Amino acid sequence: MKMKLMRMGLVLLAAGAISCNRTSPGKRQFFVAFSQANNAEPYRAAQNDLMTKLFARAGDVKLVIADAQQDNSKQVAQVETFIRQRPDLLIVAPNERAALTAVMGEAMEQKIPVICLERDILQPNYTTLVRSDNTVIGHMAGEFIRDYLINKYKKAKGNVVEIQGLLGVEAAINRHKGAADVLSTYPDIKIVADPVADWVQARAKDRMTEVLRAQPSIDVVYAHNDPMAVGAYLAAKELGREREMIFVGVDGLGGPAGGIKKVADGILAATFVYPLCVDKTVEIALKMLRDPNFHPEKEYTVAPQLVTPQNAAELYQQTMSTQ
Amino acid sequence: MLVSPHAANGSNIFLQLGNLTDVLRQVSIVGIISLAMTFVILTAGIDLSVGSILALSTTVVALVLTRWQTGLSYPVEIALAILAALAVSTASGALSGAIIAVFDVQPFVVTLAGMIGIRGLAKWLSNNANVDVGFGQDVASTFCAIFRGKAVTIACYVLLAIIFAVLLSRTIFGRHVRAVGDNERAALYAGLPIRRIKLWVYSLSGLLAGFAGVLYAAENHQGNPNAGVGYELDAIAAVVIGGTQLSGGKGTIAGTIVGTLMIGVLTNMLRLNNVDSNVEMMVKGGIILLAVAVQKQGRSAR
Repeated sequence: MKMKLMRMGLVLLAAGAISCNRTSPGKRQFFVAFSQANNAEPYRAAQNDLMTKLFARAGDVKLVIADAQQDNSKQVAQVETFIRQRPDLLIVAPNERAALTAVMGEAMEQKIPVICLERDILQPNYTTLVRSDNTVIGHMAGEFIRDYLINKYKKAKGNVVEIQGLLGVEAAINRHKGAADVLSTYPDIKIVADPVADWVQARAKDRMTEVLRAQPSIDVVYAHNDPMAVGAYLAAKELGREREMIFVGVDGLGGPAGGIKKVADGILAATFVYPLCVDKTVEIALKMLRDPNFHPEKEYTVAPQLVTPQNAAELYQQTMSTQ
Repeated sequence: MLVSPHAANGSNIFLQLGNLTDVLRQVSIVGIISLAMTFVILTAGIDLSVGSILALSTTVVALVLTRWQTGLSYPVEIALAILAALAVSTASGALSGAIIAVFDVQPFVVTLAGMIGIRGLAKWLSNNANVDVGFGQDVASTFCAIFRGKAVTIACYVLLAIIFAVLLSRTIFGRHVRAVGDNERAALYAGLPIRRIKLWVYSLSGLLAGFAGVLYAAENHQGNPNAGVGYELDAIAAVVIGGTQLSGGKGTIAGTIVGTLMIGVLTNMLRLNNVDSNVEMMVKGGIILLAVAVQKQGRSAR
């Protein structure tokens, strides 16, 4: 009985949404529904901000964002509701791969175009996938570290500390793997410690303090995200050793608390922008909406970007102006 | 995973003065929280909101220092920022205490609500973004430079530990706290101001969590609305390992300090020897059970 009532409610809502959509005559208004995995992470918040801004600039799109609060069943329910509303385009940033695969397939069956954002799902139940690649970031970080060491010692040798994110998480696994693929080919580059700090700055500071006690000589700290790299920096600074080594992070978020600012301030030697993928998504979304003959490719990969003190200030200004 | 070749000398490093003070500093934040948590648990209560209050405090102190251009002198502005953080934190604790005392609701439920709601408040105030403090000469950086010092942090912990130990063992208030937890009905018939005692205990818990938040903000150069997740459980673990019974009435500050140090030393030793962090959690779980089992045996043998 309850289910029936809920369904009726949903239908009413959907009817409301449809009738709203049709009230604007003249220029066609597109309805884009975006189901976001959560609004809590800064990365996700930045995605929402940029997408809102870019679609607003387009002028003919009404965007609705739903926050799934890191909850699979909540996100499935939200996508189901969206399907009833029959949007012109559905964008999903899946919370977890397995949980969202079926419901996104349902959207495809209903002939709603679907863009899968940043995270892959188990079956290709989407019109197109826009993503980036953590292994590539790890690889770039490995090459940056190798080049730095060669520049410092005239050969590939040195002591590296790797501060890991949450064990078993895709980003941590591949940011490690990409770097290890490069560094493990040089026997004189040694990973002297690889503590786990769960992405948290304060924890990285504590773990790095212990590493500093145990390791008399460190050349590079490679952390799987920027906050942990900053935590390691704070630990080294406290022991007066911050000039002995460089700090390399990943994420490269904009804004005053982001990693790009940390590179501009000279705290990090480099970071790698894990792309929001939103620019590409909106570009393709607008083409799909406006041009019925446009057929997107099945997958787009957005390249990560290296941030060093040379380009940090400029990139920082850019992120401030797009926020 | 690659493991350090230098790791074998972990136990030599442990005894270095620098490392021992590292441990003290690392346990200070949770250590300070667990001092007041001992009082709360002695009244047979619990305070789950302390981690969120810590986050709120880091956020408030950093927001005041970075966003509020007062034109006042640095010491005055720093004092105002700390006072603001402590006031908000104490008020949060007092609110929980008032609801528990006046409406006689279970502390677990009230402080669980606090844990969720106060975290929300911290996130709302900061727009869910870290409030970063740089390394310049401005007032916020100066605040961090003063309070992130190892000596300052450790001194704060030691001082507060002494104050709370005296408060518990040498004052009427301390005796009342114990009496409430030991037998609330008897305490009521004896005419103790039970409501006022509870209000005070939760206010103190908020105050110390807020103070720990101020130190956290300085140490990490940021106000962080997501800081301190799980700290309430770390603090409760320290209190329980230290021999305080969750049913209230029995326990000491000295025990809590021992419990705090045990966890800190254990973490440090395992890390210095590069023990897998998953194994570390299993070992910690075992230690908590072991500590409680040993105490239980000690009591029944008496």
